Amino acid sequence: MADEFERRLERLFGEAPFFADAEVFALGVETRLDRGWNIRSVLIGAAGLMGGVLGVSQLLMSNFFHRVGEASEGSARALEVGVAKITPQVELMSMVSGDWGVISLAGVTAIFAMAFVLSRVIEEI
Amino acid sequence: MSGAQIQTYSALHDVELAAHASAGDRRAFGELVRRHSSGVRGLLRRMGASPAAADDVAQDAFLAAFESVTDYRGEGTFAGWVKRIAARLYLRRLQREKRLAHLAQEAEAEFIPPTDPDAAGRIDLDEAMKGLGEAERICVSMCYGAGLSHAEAADALNLPLGTVKSHVKRGLEKLRARLAPGSGAETEGRRVNG
Repeated sequence: MADEFERRLERLFGEAPFFADAEVFALGVETRLDRGWNIRSVLIGAAGLMGGVLGVSQLLMSNFFHRVGEASEGSARALEVGVAKITPQVELMSMVSGDWGVISLAGVTAIFAMAFVLSRVIEEI
Repeated sequence: MSGAQIQTYSALHDVELAAHASAGDRRAFGELVRRHSSGVRGLLRRMGASPAAADDVAQDAFLAAFESVTDYRGEGTFAGWVKRIAARLYLRRLQREKRLAHLAQEAEAEFIPPTDPDAAGRIDLDEAMKGLGEAERICVSMCYGAGLSHAEAADALNLPLGTVKSHVKRGLEKLRARLAPGSGAETEGRRVNG
């Protein structure tokens, strides 16, 4: 059990000494905090950008837009020929199903990129 | 940052500021640094750190505190919480510099009585601490400055509990003699550092 002297010692330790440069010290800590935060923001932003670029490049590499174009052309043709003979849904699916893995990967990457960007925007707001 | 915002922060309690800080508010944490940096720096110097090392460790302690401020839930004072972080960081630094190994074997430091207690009219805690051996100074500071129990200090120092207790006991005896009312060391004014 603490005696009177020990309690007094705790009080003495609890008394903060006066530092003439206390404000400078606090500013130094704030500067380091800000620097760390900025570096983090840049890194997250860069990761988001890279994810976006990767997503878009995956989309382009998978010939997605071309396939969508083909699909719409195909469905238009199919409509012209006659609904009774052709089922456009099947036609559409067969046109894009050749590389579904790449397309879905690109889609997921794009979603991640969007999530990164969104989280940064919300944080900044 | 507006003047009104500064005023708002200065009116808030530590726990409220910590809650703001845990939401990423760095200015709120800055206010906590302003309030408690002197106490943390003072503790580290009392543990035996040089002024430059004390400031380095104190800065690191506040940065570490910001990173884990969500762990602070208002149980105990914020100052005590940061001081414990700082004390442990300082010990880690001593460990890196291989200055902790000898603490277990450190012989009882020679007691140097105050040269002229009345010369400056007072001897404060900082002066009294200088009369302690390194192990005694660290153990006393951790237990009475950072608020660690003997067992927690032993764990942080990686020393047997009995060793820590004897360092604390010897340190207390020396401080008791130096800070005793009759020793001319009664005045407990604050020192100016910087």
